[in-house]
Parts: sequence; C-alpha cells; structure tokens
Amino acid sequence: MKENEINMVPKHLEYDACGIGFVAHLKGNKTHKVVDDAITMLENMQHRGGTGYEPNTGDGAGILLQVPHEFCAEECKRLGLTLPDFGGYGTGLIFFPQDIEHRKKVKQAFAALCEKFGFDLIGFRKVPTINTALGDIAKALEPCIEQVFVKENSYLHDLGTFERRLFVLRRYSNPYIRKTIPEAGSYFYINSLSYKTIVYKGQLNADQLRGYYPDLSDSHFKSALAMVHSRFSTNTFPNWKLAQPFRFIAHNGEINTIRGNINWMKSYESLFRSSLFTKEEIENILPLLDENQSDSSNLDKVVELLLLGGRSLPHVMMMLIPEAWENDNEMQDPKKAFYEYHSSLMEPWDGPASICFTDGKMIGACLDRNGLRPSRYCITDDDFIIMSSETGALPVDPTKVVVKGRLEPGKIFIADLEQGRIISDEELKKEICSRKPYREWLTQNSVAIEDLPDPTHLIYEPNPETLLQRQQAFGFSYEDLKVILSPMMTTGHEPIGSMGHDSPIAILSKQSHHLTNYFKQQFAQVSNPPMDSIRERNVMALFSSVGKTLDILSEKPTHCILIEFKQPVLTNQYLERIRSVMHPNFRTKVIDTIFPANSEPGTLEIALNKICQDAEAAIRFGSYNILIFSDRKANKDFAPIPSILVMGAIQQHLIDNGMRVRCGIIIEAGDVREVHHFATLIGYGANAINPYMAFESITALRKNNLIDDKITDEQAIKNYINAIDEGLLKVFAKMGISTLRSYHGSQIFEIVGLSSKVVKKCFTGTVSRIEGLDFNGIAKEVLIRQRLAYEQKPTEINRLLVGGLYSWKRKGETHLLSPDTVSLLQQAVRNSDYKTYKKYTEKINNQRDHLFTLRGLLEFKDRKPILLEEVEPVEKIFRRFATGAMSFGSISYEAHSTIAVAMNRIGGKSNSGEGGEDEARFDRKPNGDWERSAIKQVASGRFGVSIHYLANADELQIKIAQGAKPGEGGQLPGYKVDEWIARVRNSTPGVGLISPPPHHDIYSIEDLKQLIFDLRNANPKARISVKLVSEYGVGTIAAGVAKAHADAILVSGFDGGTGASPVSSIRHAGLPWEMGISEAHQTLVANNLRSRVVLQADGQLRTGRDIAIAALLGAEEWGVATGALISLGCIMMRKCHSNTCPVGVATQDVNLRKKFSGKPEHVINFVRFLAEDLREVMAQLGFHTVDEMIGQADVLKVRENIGNWKAASLNLAPIISKYPAAHNVGLYKQIDQEKELGDVLDVTLIEISKDAIESGTKVKGEFNIRNVNRATGTMLSYHIAKKYGKNGLPDDTIHIKLNGSAGQSFGAFGANGMTLELEGDANDYFGKGLSGARIIVYPDKRAKFIPSENALIGNVAFYGGIKGEAYIRGMAGQRYCVRNSGVTTVVEGVGAHCCEYMTGGIAVILGITGKNFAAGMSGGIAYVNDIDGNFESRCNMGTILLEQLEDSDKVKLKELITNHLNYTGSDVAQNMLADWDNAVKKFVKVMPIDYKAALKKLLIVNG
Amino acid sequence: MGKTTGFLEYNRETPLPKEAKERIKDYKEFYLKLNEEKLNQQAARCMDCGIPFCHHGCPLGNNIPDFNDKVYTQDWLGAYEMLTSTNNFPEFTGRICPAPCEVSCVLALDEAPTAIEFIEKSIVEKAFELGLVKAQPPQFRTGKRVAVIGSGPAGLAAADQLNKAGHWVIVFERADQIGGLLRYGIPDFKVEKYIIDRRVNLMKEEGVAFKTNAYIGIDIPAQQLASDFDAVVLCGGSTIPRDLPIHGRDFKGVHYAMDFLTRQNRIIAGLPAGDEALTAKDKNVVVIGGGDTGADCVGTSNRQGAKSITQIELLEKPPLTRTKDNPWPNWSNILRTSSSHVEGCDRMWSAVTKEFIGDEKGNLTGIRIADIKWVKRPNEPDTFVEIKDTERIIPCELALLAIGFMHPQRAGLLHDLAVNLDKRGNIVAPKYKTNIHKVFTAGDMHRGQSLVVWAISEGREAAREVDKFLMGHSFLESKDSSLVDVV
Repeated sequence: MKENEINMVPKHLEYDACGIGFVAHLKGNKTHKVVDDAITMLENMQHRGGTGYEPNTGDGAGILLQVPHEFCAEECKRLGLTLPDFGGYGTGLIFFPQDIEHRKKVKQAFAALCEKFGFDLIGFRKVPTINTALGDIAKALEPCIEQVFVKENSYLHDLGTFERRLFVLRRYSNPYIRKTIPEAGSYFYINSLSYKTIVYKGQLNADQLRGYYPDLSDSHFKSALAMVHSRFSTNTFPNWKLAQPFRFIAHNGEINTIRGNINWMKSYESLFRSSLFTKEEIENILPLLDENQSDSSNLDKVVELLLLGGRSLPHVMMMLIPEAWENDNEMQDPKKAFYEYHSSLMEPWDGPASICFTDGKMIGACLDRNGLRPSRYCITDDDFIIMSSETGALPVDPTKVVVKGRLEPGKIFIADLEQGRIISDEELKKEICSRKPYREWLTQNSVAIEDLPDPTHLIYEPNPETLLQRQQAFGFSYEDLKVILSPMMTTGHEPIGSMGHDSPIAILSKQSHHLTNYFKQQFAQVSNPPMDSIRERNVMALFSSVGKTLDILSEKPTHCILIEFKQPVLTNQYLERIRSVMHPNFRTKVIDTIFPANSEPGTLEIALNKICQDAEAAIRFGSYNILIFSDRKANKDFAPIPSILVMGAIQQHLIDNGMRVRCGIIIEAGDVREVHHFATLIGYGANAINPYMAFESITALRKNNLIDDKITDEQAIKNYINAIDEGLLKVFAKMGISTLRSYHGSQIFEIVGLSSKVVKKCFTGTVSRIEGLDFNGIAKEVLIRQRLAYEQKPTEINRLLVGGLYSWKRKGETHLLSPDTVSLLQQAVRNSDYKTYKKYTEKINNQRDHLFTLRGLLEFKDRKPILLEEVEPVEKIFRRFATGAMSFGSISYEAHSTIAVAMNRIGGKSNSGEGGEDEARFDRKPNGDWERSAIKQVASGRFGVSIHYLANADELQIKIAQGAKPGEGGQLPGYKVDEWIARVRNSTPGVGLISPPPHHDIYSIEDLKQLIFDLRNANPKARISVKLVSEYGVGTIAAGVAKAHADAILVSGFDGGTGASPVSSIRHAGLPWEMGISEAHQTLVANNLRSRVVLQADGQLRTGRDIAIAALLGAEEWGVATGALISLGCIMMRKCHSNTCPVGVATQDVNLRKKFSGKPEHVINFVRFLAEDLREVMAQLGFHTVDEMIGQADVLKVRENIGNWKAASLNLAPIISKYPAAHNVGLYKQIDQEKELGDVLDVTLIEISKDAIESGTKVKGEFNIRNVNRATGTMLSYHIAKKYGKNGLPDDTIHIKLNGSAGQSFGAFGANGMTLELEGDANDYFGKGLSGARIIVYPDKRAKFIPSENALIGNVAFYGGIKGEAYIRGMAGQRYCVRNSGVTTVVEGVGAHCCEYMTGGIAVILGITGKNFAAGMSGGIAYVNDIDGNFESRCNMGTILLEQLEDSDKVKLKELITNHLNYTGSDVAQNMLADWDNAVKKFVKVMPIDYKAALKKLLIVNG
Repeated sequence: MGKTTGFLEYNRETPLPKEAKERIKDYKEFYLKLNEEKLNQQAARCMDCGIPFCHHGCPLGNNIPDFNDKVYTQDWLGAYEMLTSTNNFPEFTGRICPAPCEVSCVLALDEAPTAIEFIEKSIVEKAFELGLVKAQPPQFRTGKRVAVIGSGPAGLAAADQLNKAGHWVIVFERADQIGGLLRYGIPDFKVEKYIIDRRVNLMKEEGVAFKTNAYIGIDIPAQQLASDFDAVVLCGGSTIPRDLPIHGRDFKGVHYAMDFLTRQNRIIAGLPAGDEALTAKDKNVVVIGGGDTGADCVGTSNRQGAKSITQIELLEKPPLTRTKDNPWPNWSNILRTSSSHVEGCDRMWSAVTKEFIGDEKGNLTGIRIADIKWVKRPNEPDTFVEIKDTERIIPCELALLAIGFMHPQRAGLLHDLAVNLDKRGNIVAPKYKTNIHKVFTAGDMHRGQSLVVWAISEGREAAREVDKFLMGHSFLESKDSSLVDVV
C-alpha cells in the first residue's frame, strides 16, 4: 500500500496480542532440549496466534536463544571461517533482499559499516530455511536470511563494552542502510547482534517456526534459555520484521501511551550523557525510537538503552513498568522512594503487558500493575523452569513439578542462571531499592505544593463586575453553569446524561466552538481493556509535578528537583505559590497567551510563534524551569488564545528543540472548565492547570443562590476539583491508562476538523484525517466570542447565552431530533403515513441551512435510474435491520417486548441488550407473536448470560463498546432493579448492578478470539457479532475481529446510544460512523477479509438516505435504536437515568410504565418507511439489490457550495474513497467463517453423553485434556440447555473425569447435570458463566507441590457465573468470582480483585487473598480465612462490611468445606475440619451493605 | 433543574377566579392569589425536557424550563431576566395568551400541562413587586432615528427593542391612548389598563417617545416620515373587520365587536365613549363568531347586564379531546371554555346566520339562523349544507360581529407608501423588509390577524432586522439564532 493514498485505512497501526513464554535451565545447563521444549510450547499456543484470509500465513513467531557457540563454531568451520572463542565475536541473523544484486549492495554497505565501527567481518553464513509450508503472502516478502559473524578489529574490550559496541553498529546500520539504499533497504533488518543471544523469527505461524529454520532442530544447537513469542496482529499487512522476540523482550500486550513515550524520549535524547557511551556513539544511536514501528519494538529499544547504559535488567523493568505504588500504604518506604524518584525520570510505559525478558544470563518476566495478562510458570525438580501465557503449553511430567505459580500484578520473576537460582520479587526489589538513598534524595530536592509558602497576596482577585464579560469571552454558556458546573460543585461528580448526541460536531456547527471540541478522545477496545477507575482506584494515580528532568542515563540526587502535586488542578492559591516561588531550585516565568483582537489574518499564528520563542528563551537563557502560560491579561483589545492551542504549540516547539523536559508547564486559562478541557491539556503536555474562570464562576454561582447555600466556597471548589479528578481518571481509564504521568503528553486523541497546518505545528503526530480550520479560522471563532463580550453595546447583554447542547434550545446548537422531527416521525408511524414521514426526512436530509452530520455534506452522483419496481422489495431488505441494544432494565418491559415483537414480525432482529431476557419470552405466543430477541447481547456485566439464554438466540453479540460511552462501564441504580429485573439478571431487588468497563475475559484480541470460540460452542448455530465504536484504528480492530472469526462486526457512531453516561463521554469520545464504517470497510477490503464478515452500522441513522450512504460506505446491515424508541413514543426527555420517563419507555416505575403507548406497528412502520425510502434512493442510483451497492463509495461526492465556511474547509475524500481492490476481493459478506468446532473435545463428550441427553441416563467418562482443549463442556451444555431449558438435567447425570492441563474457559456456561472433575490444572476463564454444573479440580495426585500454595487455575474464574458449584484444591489467579451472581465455590487461595462486582453466590477462600478484595461487590457472600489477620487491609471497603459468622453461616461453611474435602481430598479442608472450632474462628464474612439491606427487606416482606 | 419527580408529586393548580356572580359586578381582573409555595410546586412540575416542546411551541421562544427552574429555586431576578430575554411584555402574555406552550408541554400528552402562563405572570408581577423592573436606558445612542407606526404589542415590542439598540424611537399612534388592541380591544377584566401604562411609562423613562393622535397618512404624510427617519416600522395591525353582508345588516343594533369593546374600555378609562345605544344592558345579545373576541363580547355583555347572550359559531363544535389527525404537540383544536363563557351564555355551533330581522324603525329584533352540516372532501375546502327544517328566529336587539379581521387598512399610509401587499391584503415583507427602502413592518399588518404573543415576536424580530439594516450587525437577540453564530 502506498503511503500517500487517500483513504481511511490506518497507517502504521496495529495491535498485537500474543502467546509468550520461556524455558530455561536454572543452573545454566545448555541443552538442545531447552530449544526443543520452547518450540513445542510455542506450537501449543497456536490458538493464541492469528492468521489472515490465508491460513498458512501467520502474523509472526520467533525464538530468542543463547548464542549456540558449539553449533556456530562447527558451521563456521564447514564454511572455512575462523570463529574466536565464545565472547570474542558477535553474531545474529540478518534479513537481506532476495535479489542478488540488491543483496550484494546491501552486504557491501554493511561490511563498510563494520569497518567504520571498528569490527572485522568474519563472514556470513546462509541460514538454511524451508519455506514450503508458508503462505503466498509470507513467501512474497520472504527475505534472504544470513547469519553474520563479526569481531573487534583492534583490541578486545570487556564483554560489556563489546556488547555496547555491537549495539551501536546495529543501531546505526538499520536506518543507515534503509536510507542509503532505498531500493533494497526495506528488506534489511538485523534481528539481533550480540555475543550472548540470537533471535530466529519470521512471518510465521507458531507451528511453522521449527520447520522453517532447520538450525533449530539441530541437536548441536544448545541453549540454557529460550524465549518464544507467537503474534496475533489485528491486521495482516505483512512484515517479517514485526515478529518477536526482539533483542531483549517478548511482549504480550499493548503500550497505550506509546505516542507520549516516543515524544518524551525524543526530549530526553538531547540530555543523554553516559560514561559508558562516547558522545559520538550516542549520536550514532539517535533518534532512539521510531514511531513507525510497533510499541513493543520501541519498548525493546528503551530497555536495551537503559540496560546497556548501566542499569540492571530488573531495574530497567521497574523503571519502565512500575507497580502501583502511589496509593499502596503497605509498601515499604525504600521501594516507594525508588518508584517516586524514578517517576521524575521516566513516565510509565502504560498498558497491559506481560513481558518476558532476558539478557542472556538472567531470564525473567514481569506483569504490569493491573496484571491483565496471564503468566503461569512451573519449576521442576530437575531445575527446568517453564513460563508461558498458559499452563500446560509445555506438557511436563507431573511427578517432577515442585512449584506451580503465576505472575502477580507489578511483580517481577527472575531466574539468574549464573547464580543458579530464582530471585524472588521481594529480594530483588529490596536489593535494587537500597542501592541509593532515594528517600534522602527526594527529601532534599523535591517539595510538595502543600509545603510551599503562601504568597503574600493574591495577584488576581475575583472581579464580579467583569465576570460576565469574561465568561462570554471564554465561551461560557448558561448551560455550562447549570448542567456542568453546578452539579460538579454540589455533588463532586460529573453529571450524567442520556440519549446520545445529535448535534453537529464542532466543525459542522455554525456556532463558535471551544477548540477542544475538535478533539475526540480515543478509547480502548479489544486490543486492550479499559479500566475501572472507581473500583480499581488503587492502581490509578493523578500525581503530577513540575521541575526539570535530567539525563535518564544517569542517576543523581538532583534528578528529583521537583514541585509535586497530588493532582493536576491547581487552586488560585497554589498557583500563586508557584508564581511567586522563592526557592533556589525553581524559577517561574509567566508568558501571556493573548493575541490582538483586530481580526487581521495571521495575528494568531504570529502570537503563537512569539510565545514559543519567549518560552524557549526563558529556558535557554533565563534558566527558568517552570513556565506559566496565562491568559489572565486578555481584555478588550487582546483575545485569549485557546489554551489547547498554546499547549500544543509550546509542547511541539520544545520537543523539537529538545527542551521540553527542561521545564514544567502550567496552564492558567479562562477557557478551561470541563473534564475534556483538562484531559486534552494534559494529553498534550500540561503538568498542571489552573481553571481560574471556572473557580470564579463557581464562587459567583454560589453567591447567586444557584446552589445549596450550605456548601461553602471552599467546599464547592473542592467538589469541583474532585469531579474533574474523577473525570480525568475515567478518561485515562477508558484508554486503559492508569496514571496521569503516562497519559501526560500521550496525545491520545483524534482531531476532527483542523487543518494539517495546525496539526503539524501544534499537535504533531495526532491523527487528523479530514482537514478543517486553519489558524485564521480558529481566530475567527475566538473573536466572535470576544466581540460578544467586549464590543460596546447600547444595552449590555446581561446574561450568558443559553447553550443548547444538552437539551434542545431554539437559540442553541441545532439537533437532529427537534420538536419537528420527533413529532413528524411519531405522526407518520402512528398513522402509517408515508407522506408525513417524507416531511420528516426532508427536515433531516436537507442540510443546506443547518449541517448536522458529515453525510450532510455528501450527495449522490448522477447515475442511470431504474424503476422503483425493479428494486428488490422491502421484505428482502427487512432482514438487514436490527434494533439497538437496550437492556430490559434501562427500558421498560413494554418498550423492550414491543420492539422484539415488531422485529420478529418482519424478520429483522431485535437486541436483548445486556440485561438478560425473561425466559418466558423464549416461546412464541399463541397469536404467533414472539417477544424473543433474536440478538442476545454478551456484555461486560454478563447479566443473565446463561447457557439457556445463549442457546436461545440467532445471533450472539459481544458488546465491546457503546457509542454513548465507549470504554466505560455502566451502572443500573438499585431503584431500577425491581424483582422482575433482578430475577432476569440473577441479582437481588434493590441492589445496584455494575457493568465493568472491560469484559474481564477480553484483555486483548486473542482473548476476543477465545470468547468468540466459547460462544460458538455455547450456540453453534448462532451468528457471532462484535460491536465496536468508531474511532481511529477501528479498521485495524475490525480486521483483527474478522481474523478472530466473528461473523459480523457492528461499528457504532459515537453519537448514537441511548444509555446514561457522563456528559463528557457522550460528546467527546469516538467518531461519527461515516468515518468508522469507511475505515473498517476499507481496511477489511485491503486485507481481503471483507467477504468474511457482515459489516453493520448504527448511530443516528434517521432516514433512507442515511442508510443508503451507510451502505455505499460499506455497511450491509443497519441498526436503529433512538428511531425505534421515538416511534414508540420517546420524546427525548433525556432523563433515562432518573427513572422518570413520562412516556413509559425508559422507566421501571409502575405508574409511568402505564403511560407507554407504543405498538409493534409503529416500529414496523418506521422500518418499512426506511426501507421504502432506501429503495427510492436505490432506484435513483440504479441499484437492484442492496448487495450491489455495498462499498460503492465512489457513487458519493462532496456537495458543492457549502455555505458554512467552517465545514467548507473539510476534505472528505478519504471517507468516500473506494479502496482499490482486485476483482476477486469481495465487498460484502460472501464466505462463512471457520467455526473451529469439528475437533473440540466436546464432540466426544456429546457422543458419550447421548443417552443422558436423550433420556437422562447417568453417564461417566474419562479423558486426557491439554491446554489446546478449550471451552470444554460448553457445547455439551448447549445440547442440555436446548433440550431441558433453564433447569438442565438432574445433578451429576453426566460425570466427566479429565486428566491434564485444561485449556481456557474450562466448563464455561456449564449446564446443570454436568460434573467436570479435573485432575491437573487449568487456565483462564475457568467456569465462566457457569449455569448449574459442578466443577472439581485437584492437582495430579502424583505432584510433589503443596496444592494450597500453588496456582491451579488461571485468572477470571467464574466470571458472570449464574449457578452451580466448584471446588478447587489449590490457588486461583486474579479476579476470582468476578461478577459472580450465583455460583458457590471453594478455593484455597486467590489473587487480586477477588469477588469484584460480585452480585450473588458464595465464595469460600481457605487461604491467602490478594489486594482489592470485593471491589464493587454488591451481592453474595464471601467467607475468608483471615490467615494473617490483615485481610481487611486488602479489602476494598467501598460497598462491604466485614462481619463475624453467625451460626447459620458456620453450618453452611462447614458443609462447603466438607464437600471440598470429599470432592478434592484437600488436606487444608481436612485440617480445618479436624480442628473446626478453632478454624472457624479465623473466618470473616464479607457482606455487601446493599445486599444485606435487601435481604433484610425480603425477610420482612416474606414475613 | 428543579425537581426530578415534581410532576409525579404535584397536580396542576392555578389561581381560582372569583365566583362568576361576583366578578361580573365589575370590570376588574378576577383571579385570586395562589401562595408562593404553591407557585413553587407548579414550577417543580416542569420536567426540564431534553426537547422542551413548550419552548418550541411558544411563538416568542420563551425559555420556559429555565425560568421554571429559577422560580423553583426562588431566583426571581434570574427568572425575570430569563423571561425578558425573549419577551418584552410578559405582563401582557401572562394574562391573555392562549398559551400554545402549555398545549405542547410534554405533560399535556396525557395530563395537565405545567402552569406556564401562570408562572410567567407570577414572575413579572413578582419582579415589579420586588422593584426589579427598572428603566434601563441605553448607555449610548447611535444617532439613528426610527419611527414606529402603531402602538399595539408589535409596535411596542419593536420600539422597545430598537431603543435598547440605542436608536431614537418615536411611536406614532392615531388613537388618543397608547396600546392599540391591548388598550381598546381587550376588556379590562382581562388586562387592567394600568398594566399598559406601567409599561409605557417605563419605555418613556428609557427614552422612547410616543405621539398619540398622530394619524400617519392623514395628520402626517407618510412620505415625510420616510424621509425624516432612518427607518420606519409599520405596525398598524389588521384593522379592517370582516363584515357579514346579509339582509338586514343595516338595522340598528348590528355592530362590529371591536366598536362594542372599545366603547366599554373608554367608559372605564373615563374617556368620551360615543354611541350610548351600543350597550348590552337588558338586551338579547347575539355574538356572531366563536373566537376570543366573541368571548370578550360575552364577558362584557354580562357585565353590562344583558338579558340573554347567545354565541353563534359557523364551524362544528370541537371535540373535547384531540382527534387522531390533530396530535400533540400541535395546537389542539378542542372545545375551549373561557371564563366569560362560564359567566353565562348559550353557545351554538354549526349554525349559520341567514338574516337580520328588524322592526319598521330599523331596530334589530331578531336573527334568522339555521343548523348546518359540514361536508369534507379531500383536497378541497370544506363546505356546508343547511339542514332542512332547522331555520328559526332568535330574538336579538344587539348583534355583535366577532368574525375576525380581513387585513390592514390600505387607504392612507399603505397606499401612500406604495408598499406591496399580498393576496390577502397584508404587507409583503420577507425578513420584515417591505419593498420600500428603509420601511419595515411587523405584527398583524404583516402577518395578518393573530395573537398578542405573535405580535411581540414580530416586533422583536423586525427590530433586529432594522438594527442590522442601520448598523450592519445586531446584538439584539433573535429567537432562532445565537449571538455566537459564525455564519
């Protein structure tokens, strides 16, 4: 693909997720077995890798080994080369061009470089390869692979220096050759160059590595360690180089903050000084990072530099991926000081990560602070250590195992092969943290803002007389005060809104907009998980600081000369402390950010340049290290420059000049008030922000009685800051970022509507695809407000403008859903009146005067029309319609079932939403109507997602994100949970329910692939779809989803959505669907994956024209949600979250529900009108069928004569580009996906269970199981549920004994009547969605380890469990029983976040527990053996009480422990029962507060 | 917003009128007071809708949810400012508006709407009571001079707005008092006239000049006005009443409603009132026309001591509730019973007046009417046929024609200025601009006969266009555009 093609296909973007692992011999014995075992392990994780449309082209696989000296020596001998002893030469595999001439040229160039850098080239060895198994794509780009041998040509340095010099040679060669030999350089790639380690990799499947490189099968090829990686990339733009491992690490995960990390590194580079590298050497390795390469590759480079720069490997990992130290009160101070100190040197490389690393002498692994990736290890009695993403990936003789463990969040695990031992996390960190007196350094050099002296006076006093004027100039509206600031200052939280966003995006609006409105927040979907900033607050941090960063290669006390802030919002007082700081370490300079308000073109840009120059001079010549950018001086003649523009310009300028890290930047700006304003400023590099106008407005509001007068000024401001902080955490969390320091400068936005000139200058590197305003346009918008505020008027306008964003206002922003459109549509559907419908569409489609949408700028080209009769009938089109996912709970039963009946009548699909579905609706009614939703949604809360629910669906939809609040979870408040809803959701009436932000079984693309596989097993007949939200990269994600074998992909616009969400999320996260659909379609076409999946669009689809455009851009199916609700009487109250919907749609209030007046006919009419309307467009354009028009984007053109000068600056060409594809590349779904069900273990299980399923006869069976056997028991459960419904079979009808290591999702959705007994161990998602089955696990009876101290099952067990029981003799991983709603379990130890969001069931924990126990737990009970008396400190006490056991509890507990003993033979259970009276005393009961109240209420009600 | 669940907790409650028997004893406004707590509850019933249909339904674009909220939080100044940002004269509309806002209130879907009009009136009266209503003359003058012709609600609104924009405004009124229809057309029991005086005095304090007895086209040549002023706004109203030219029209006792109403208002004001015979006292009164003016005639007749009152309407009796083809949030064509009707009268629908009958002296004695049946055909205007054998004579000594106004008076002003008129006889004025340079128009003269609320709206919007014409841009607000519009 050419770089300069105009389209929406993301460039340089890919997400990968992987299987990783290593095998090593603790004592350093080099054997071929290690190599062999590692490859076997890799092969057994094939299911974690990915393939594109060509199954034999993989995404990449590789292995890192110690240099096999014996093997190399022999090979060299054969080639006539003389190889020095081990350590005397460096070697590595190099990719060369296949073309002989090119290769020669490249080799010559490389040889010259060797000489230049002081090396003798010993020679090359052609590495044998066998490519017969490879796919055509991989073959087409296959390089010629040779192994190089070099030695130093002068004197022999010590090994460390030798390694560094090899590094410099490699670093320099790669870009140099690519640049100087452009025709062939892109092939050139040095896999590694080291005296210690060597990497073999390629664009291979995991099972192709061994065959491709015969070297690896040579018995002389020996190593004491081997690190492997298999890659699943979301796209398939082929590249051999992208395979891992790199030189030091193999990474499973995603660095979300990569953009910022690269920028910061660019800033650090100018300060690099090292005693280990010469100045020249440093110059030769810069720039260190490359934004065109993957996050993992860049991380590897930083690891390499810091390591070679003198730090140890674990030290480097602690610096880059710190554990969550900020809020950890239990952490020892030296360690805290270490992290605090290093936070001033390096921002965290944040994102889910499980990283294996090695320097050839030690090998280890670490997990990020959230621990979202699985990492399991085992150690054998013959000193082998095996670590991988899955247990059992390398089958090990169970009798030899002495330890089975798992990596914990933030922890490091190291095997030192020289010392011949495992070094524990504790020991390792203790040693590293005590190397230097970090605490002392901090005490001497850093100062907290709280400890700075107060200034003698405040420079700026509030001025009520000019307040209004300034508010007008800064763009405050009445709505901002009423809807945003008032709730924040009174409640301390961000306000909630409902029903999406139907106003034009900023660039289309005819009103003057805040510049940050042109920035859309990005969010995590699929490739990495968003986080829960509320329930997992312990890993989040808002710490910020200003000061001066020094060279990251060194380590001095002065590195931490900083002023520290607990959070980034500075009160006026704190700001003045800094402004007037009198401290030898700090000098503060204020730079005014205003420009002459004279409307002359260019003025703004000149002012910006001046600001940048002043800032640079202040740092360079004035030794200032704190810069305050202030618009306080704005007045009649000088307008304020939008703060985000200032921030962007200054950040880029200082980065370019290598000066950014030499100062802290504080923004003092009047235009900052909303969460999004803060988020953008921090995202572009602000260290702290003073929103003085927000503060002044708050004080004034309070004075004007607009809020409760019990709240003091101080409290109001505190509340406001709290709301902003919470909001910021939410913004970070939705991208999966935990700390402000890593979000800082990370630029995680897409710009919609700014010109490339502005982006280049101020927001370099931020995605911006459709052009927009230039500097003069931005100035024009500012000056409109300036004029309103300052132009002298005969009668002053003594109030703010109304706003009109959050509710429709005549003078406010325009809305698609207006009084006219709502009432016309309702009249049309009620009276079956197509004419009135056309009046409605005219109001929406005709956007000449008012622009609403990007598609409003498009029109159809003239084509030869056909007769309407020639177009396929509406009946054929109906099946392409779906209604949006709205849960029973968010909307009333009446609304929910009416939509279902309507869609079933016409053959469309309704969507259950995420709240489960009453099984009474699964059967047709006597009159033929059917209230069953064809689409059953599987969302993060998993409410009511039982095997019975899954079995009763035509489509299973995995909701990754929703338009209204992508990247966020949800909450159904307790007052909406009545008995009915509670029953359907398996919860307790009156107890609130939380949907977590991520699916806890999808932290990455390979996890999604797993869930798709699970759901296929749970209902082999259903179509599996994945719901995404439009954002930059959704195309890449869609390609990944297609590769994960989903059948359909829904791309939602950001603006749709009916759910309640924070108002800032509704507006500022995600993109219009026009951009998402075109990107997804084009990317799928580019990857030839489009024909495998259905593409569906939704989000403010209102008319047949909208649908036609969606189809032309690539969507063959369409969803309507708001439109359906309006048809049923919704009048856009936007009060769904208050339960007061006055038309009975979005309420559970019995009286209000009676007001519901919708009929199925209304929805049917709406869909029929849309289809008819679409047919008219099709006839006009000459399309006979919808299939013909999918993806024919060249039928669209951009309208001419766009009246709005803002919108006229857009360039929509990328959106309406038709991706050039070969003739045989399908543009719509034509090929069925591989279902992968043929060889699952369940085929056998179903076979042996035939009698049980048919007649309920008891059956038993015993089988071996391996990690590749995933979702065991699920398809069997489908058959049980299909036949026996909710209740399944009688207990233990089918009893299956399994031996070995079970793959992921063992027993998922297991139905009643099935018992799975596993002797061995198991992986992640154990028993998820358990629907009545019993699961028993105990270690291999021959194993030597102590079960209760070893990891037996993986992370996220019993997620969304509904019913059933389980007994685990051993420990579980993180998030045990997450969102469990009914399963009873006994386990002997758990990791962090146990019982998170749990709503029902019982968890008995006999052993140790991890941090953040019971976060967000609202129901069910946990009985925990408080072994160390410290359990409470590990609990999240937000929603629970810790109680003593009552007698009834004791009886229950004893019964469960007795079961545990009987089923598993647990010695722990046995010992407890033997001394029951004492044992039971140590147990604590974890009781959710609301649950307790609800139970009490039930007790009273039931007498 | 005020209270999320207010509408579930409180019922609609508006001030009760005095007993009919009592109130017809005088011409004073007759609504009793409702205490502030109750008012507060009424404001709390507002649901602060995501789409405030009331705000859309109001011809002025009153920002109803926001002022309701302010009433709920007892921020009277804020409420007053919010209200007057869209409405110059809430004291008028708060009394006599048919309140299309309430018709389109979301609560009106299936229950009683928020008491918007009552809240509106309460805000402005409270503001007067608290002294919040103060003359605010412009801070400086533009030096431009604008003539407004006609001092009805449209003229007053235009004048008020143009004055705020700093122009010198003179309002010319051909009658002896300011107020137009408000002054003489609306009975005192609906709007006591001190209300108008209070407002006019404020405007005078703010610098608006008023010239009464100034009949443009007669006293002052229209052309002169056009040359003396930088702009002229024609707000003369729709003054030519619809006649009923049937047999007997000339009998004594057949009058236009407006003459009847004007006379009573003049009497109350202590002004010369003319024709003494034009009274309902002891007469059988028939009001022809079922609209608001007709109802005003009923109320006035009762107060004057009529023997009997009958109101005749040609159209069908409207249904009690909305029909399918007249859905919310459109204006509802349902039976409305005004306070005047309650005071006593017979109402007839589907009745045609065939002939006035008089005695030999030329005095009206009765009216011949007949029942009719309406015939509806698609794509054609409705017609009616008389129902056989229903013709009858009802006794009548005073017949009042309240069947609307046709168009503005052409003679004089309009003729002299040579402004273009449409087929109905109203002034053609896109964006309030007539075909004549610097001549604008607003109100019924432009729109045709309509509501006071529409007249105010017209005056405001026209003023903005005049301001733009004079200054190139305007900071006067328009109901549908924002002051931060960039295009």
